[in-house]
Amino acid sequence: MTNIEKYNQTFVSSFSVKEEKLLTLSYQSVDGWDSIGHMRMIAELEEIFDIMIETNDILDFSSYVKGFEILKKYGVAL
Amino acid sequence: MALHCKLLSGKTAVITGCNRGIGKAILESYAANGADVFACVRKESAQFTKFINRLTEKHAVNIIPLYFDARNMDEMKNVVHQIKDSKKKIDVLVNNAGIGYNALFQMSALDKVKEVFDVNFIAPFVFTQYLIKLMVKQKSGNIITISSTAGIDCNDGKSVYGASKAALICMTKVIASELKSEGIRANSIAPGLTDTDMLLCLPKEFILDASSSPDLNRIAKPSEIADTAVFLASELSAHISGQVIRVDGGVK
Repeated sequence: MTNIEKYNQTFVSSFSVKEEKLLTLSYQSVDGWDSIGHMRMIAELEEIFDIMIETNDILDFSSYVKGFEILKKYGVAL
Repeated sequence: MALHCKLLSGKTAVITGCNRGIGKAILESYAANGADVFACVRKESAQFTKFINRLTEKHAVNIIPLYFDARNMDEMKNVVHQIKDSKKKIDVLVNNAGIGYNALFQMSALDKVKEVFDVNFIAPFVFTQYLIKLMVKQKSGNIITISSTAGIDCNDGKSVYGASKAALICMTKVIASELKSEGIRANSIAPGLTDTDMLLCLPKEFILDASSSPDLNRIAKPSEIADTAVFLASELSAHISGQVIRVDGGVK
């Protein structure tokens, strides 16, 4: 599985959304992406990509698209 | 009386400040009760290595020493990486490391205020943030924070130390509330005067008779604090969260 496939799968499974909706997905735009869902998703990404995301980046992680930029900081190319 | 009933068999704990005082007693009690432990201390020493080797052999548990200075965030992150890389389920985090400070409010220096808050509050706050992510992933976890009766009673000379411990108590209660849906519980132990090096920062008149008096008007033994930490880490306290347990013999 490629990195982008793993990334997409995390969002799809974390928030029960369809893959074609991902580009418009942002924090609190769907029921599952609340603060608890956010931390679960971050924990999942950390596990999958073997990284540790800093608190400031967790707070900045406001959308699916923004996540590309943040993961790049941790050496994860999507 | 130390509890040695294997109450923590199969559990893995992370304990900070294990090289002396209450942290050392908790490490000893957890090992005696069958827990594997990531034992965090500031610096490596032959004495500590000998101590954990003895515990490992005596109780047939795994004790992994980890080294970081509470004020060094890079060292802390490195330790979190080591814990994460172990792939072990972290059942219990005991935030114990801390420093004492006793000074009248008007004689409390700002650099000491910052130092006490860095070690006693900021470090456990950040460390807990890191480890809670592992617990969220597991959908279970147990956080025990060693605070102090000074954080509740607001004694003279404790405006800084007591405030740092009061902050820990608040943090504990908020974690218990915010993360109960993740199966994570959080409690705090508030020791009163306890027979540790921290007593050295107190005036002599505050130090009671530490002899083995049969009454409760005495200084606590570190093992008595550790017994409560065993209870809170065990399934005996499975439905207890958001609480602060005073271990002070009723002495105020």
